Amino acid sequence: MLPSALLLLTATVASSQGLEALEQRLARTPPVSTDFVEYRFSHLLKKPLRSSGTLEYRADGVMVRNVLKPARETTEVDGEQVRITRAGKATRSLSLQRAPQLRVLLGSFRALLQGKLTPLRQDFDVTLAGDAGQWTLTLKPKDPTLAKHLARIDVYGREDKPACLEALEPDGDGALTLFAAAPPAAAPPTRADIERTCRTPAAPGAAAK
Amino acid sequence: MLLAAWCGLLALGIFWVQSHLRVSADLRLFMPSPRTEAQRLLIQNIGESPASRLLLLAIDGDQPARIADLSRRYGAALAARPEFAFVANGAQPPPGIPEELLAYRYLITDSFDAAPLDATRLASELEDRAADMASPAAGFLEDLLPRDPTLELLHLAQRWQPRAEPHQVDGVWFAADGRRALLLVQTRAAAFDPDGQTQALATLEDQFAQARGGSGAKLTVSGTGYFSAVIRNRTQYEATWFGSFDTLGLITLLWLAYRRFVFTILVVLPLLTAGLAGLTVVSLVFDGVHGITIAFGFTLIGVAQDYPIHLFSHLRRDETALATARKVWPPLATGVASTCIAYLAFLMSGVIGLAQLACLTITGLLAAGLTTRYLLPRIAPLPGSDPARSAWLARLGRRIEGLPRPAALYVAIPVAALAVFLWRPEGFWENNLSKLTPVPPELLKRDAQLRRELATPDLRYLLVASGDSEDAVLAALEGLDTRLAGAARAGAIGSYEHAAQFLPSAGLQQKRRAALPAPAALADMLERAAADSPFEADVFEPFLADVERARTLRPLTRADLHDTPLDLRLGGELFTRDGRWYGLISLYDVHDPGAVARLATGPVTFLDLKAASEQLVAAQRSHVLLCLEIAAVLLLVVIAVTLRKAARILRVLAPMILTTLVILAVLRAADVSLSLFHLISLVLAAGLGLDYALFFEHAADDPAEQQRTLHALLVCSATTLLVFALFSLSTVPILQAIGVTVSLGVLSNFLLALLLTRERARA
Repeated sequence: MLPSALLLLTATVASSQGLEALEQRLARTPPVSTDFVEYRFSHLLKKPLRSSGTLEYRADGVMVRNVLKPARETTEVDGEQVRITRAGKATRSLSLQRAPQLRVLLGSFRALLQGKLTPLRQDFDVTLAGDAGQWTLTLKPKDPTLAKHLARIDVYGREDKPACLEALEPDGDGALTLFAAAPPAAAPPTRADIERTCRTPAAPGAAAK
Repeated sequence: MLLAAWCGLLALGIFWVQSHLRVSADLRLFMPSPRTEAQRLLIQNIGESPASRLLLLAIDGDQPARIADLSRRYGAALAARPEFAFVANGAQPPPGIPEELLAYRYLITDSFDAAPLDATRLASELEDRAADMASPAAGFLEDLLPRDPTLELLHLAQRWQPRAEPHQVDGVWFAADGRRALLLVQTRAAAFDPDGQTQALATLEDQFAQARGGSGAKLTVSGTGYFSAVIRNRTQYEATWFGSFDTLGLITLLWLAYRRFVFTILVVLPLLTAGLAGLTVVSLVFDGVHGITIAFGFTLIGVAQDYPIHLFSHLRRDETALATARKVWPPLATGVASTCIAYLAFLMSGVIGLAQLACLTITGLLAAGLTTRYLLPRIAPLPGSDPARSAWLARLGRRIEGLPRPAALYVAIPVAALAVFLWRPEGFWENNLSKLTPVPPELLKRDAQLRRELATPDLRYLLVASGDSEDAVLAALEGLDTRLAGAARAGAIGSYEHAAQFLPSAGLQQKRRAALPAPAALADMLERAAADSPFEADVFEPFLADVERARTLRPLTRADLHDTPLDLRLGGELFTRDGRWYGLISLYDVHDPGAVARLATGPVTFLDLKAASEQLVAAQRSHVLLCLEIAAVLLLVVIAVTLRKAARILRVLAPMILTTLVILAVLRAADVSLSLFHLISLVLAAGLGLDYALFFEHAADDPAEQQRTLHALLVCSATTLLVFALFSLSTVPILQAIGVTVSLGVLSNFLLALLLTRERARA
């Protein structure tokens, strides 16, 4: 199963630049699945923390984030319930009712996977820049509590495909998630390298496996 | 002159009573005095426990998003009001350790009980944190990690949220149907403080009206405090309404009977005297008088209006009123004395409310009897007409004369009653304590539904640990924790909550403190663990500082938590009363009460509030019944001494005894279970029956006297029936129970006295 093939299923190139037009292009019918590589930049860490795995949105509405490296971890988001399973440990579960900010953040992932962008307006100020060929979707949280932890999310994409998601925290820390992309050069990349890769997505298909 | 003095005295009495009467609304005055520890806790729990001070609110009638927004604004507005101890609607953060007490988490947490915080543990924790950093939650954890790399705060927060919370829409609680927002508020006023509750309810309404704005949303309130206010207000409303109607009816009846308005006023004088005398004595003897005592007592004293009626109906133009009073005095005095003896039973019942009621009634009846005998005749004018000369009464008398005297009734009524009791033996007595605090069933149903939605703790089952000190109770709770967790795992209960989860015993805190590593050792461990992790070693300085601080802390106590969010939580779960400490274990979703009962050993007691209250009610009833039996014997003695002949005694007692059987049989046939209020009403009815019989018997075979007696008893029973027939239409269950019982009693007593007691007149 080629995840990128799924993402291509309903590909249409539309000229409209509106959110609705992008939404139409991104719309997917679950199950949807994509590989990802994520880098976390934090003042607590010696160097950027790289993790990789798959992100899927199953037909039953459950979002699953499978981390394969550096350590196996499966996070299932099932409605308000989050189950986290790590190798050799008992499954932990937590309710998103108790973590409303996390719910909003996870909700944005799900929306992108599914291609449902309009509901994002409830929790974010949404702006869209660029054209159909290359676009940037910016989400700024409305909730002040969430804004303390998350300055904004930039989603970079080409045509019908989000390529990279950059979450920026107010203190300069943040995380970069590259979707369905081959990891950049094997040598430890600098933050600037990764950001460059993220912000200038390759043409669809070019980087896919 | 005498009239003026009397009225002046009454005015003085009203003034004194108004300034000295302290009305209490504590329904526990009407509950039995507790004997066992479980019963004491039960009675305490009613009305004062935090759970009983909870009001459940629901908002519906608009779109969910707007209701959610309304709930948030409304909740915030209520939280700022002094009437409420706390407000919850899901929007509040869970209770946490206050900033200045954060270091205490290492004494509170159970994380390091099995194995101490050592190098291995630290390494494994950092490994987990590294994985956390690769999760979407990383951004939220980053701020926390330097101070709390083992995430003790999250662990405690999770441990402190054991219960299932209601559903949420837009961050606030909603019912499962997604249409009603739910809120929980705790009043500062006790549940049985109707004034405080009425004020809290008014604030709820005001704030809601303000928060609602133009929306069509509606507010629904439920809870014990709401019930007490609603019942009080409804009782007051109906009592006032019935009162006005009764007054009107009474005036009409009395005018029809005596055709002179002055008699109507004179009937009221002994009644007013009775009420004032009763209130005065009760407020002198007791600390505070319950509202029910007053309302109920006045109902019982209402019988005293019969006394002047007996006098007035026997007045003759050719005899002084004083002479008439002397003639009616023997049956009147016997009636007053025997009714007082019956109420004496309630004086010894051991229930404060009933004792007050008895004291009020006995004083009142004595006052009314004595004023009717000694004061009223001196101011009574000549009668407008002598009932003995009334043509229609004479006709009625002849009709009655023609009626058969069915001696068969002596057998038929007991046999029929027995048949009914055998046909429907179940549910003779009402054992449900909540029926004593009568709440309309539809309100109870709504309450149960809201409680289910809001996942409040089980109302019936409770475990209670007790001890000499706060710490002894906490230790007892800790001792039970493993078994409680086992019961939850086994499915006997859904979950549980107790104070030691928030505040461990001093002993346990000291043990944990001693197990914390020394600063140098911890720094060394941390450095090695961090070296193998993606984390910088020096970011965890705040963690080292907190652990070091925790090593010097003296154990946390209840007092340290004063004015923190945790204090509120603990308030209901750990408290002291009469020098003893109690810790409640709230249970959620009890599936196997038997298993829970088996958990209770040593200082822990299992409380089945329903069973305990039923036992309490049953014990109270058997005590009251015993007192009534003693009173019945006394009454027999009084009647026997007064009437002397066996045939007369039988004729006087028969209507009262048979009527009691009739009432019991009718109630049983209608499947009504008897409560305390029925018993009181039965005594009231019996007292009336005795009066009727005594007067019929006293009239003997003199036709003129018989006609006057008939007149008096017709007026008496009509006025009494008027009052109680109205009561039986009441929507307040207590009033209705009294109304039905007494109305039945008046009818049956009058008819039976007419048929069985009245002698045939001389031709």
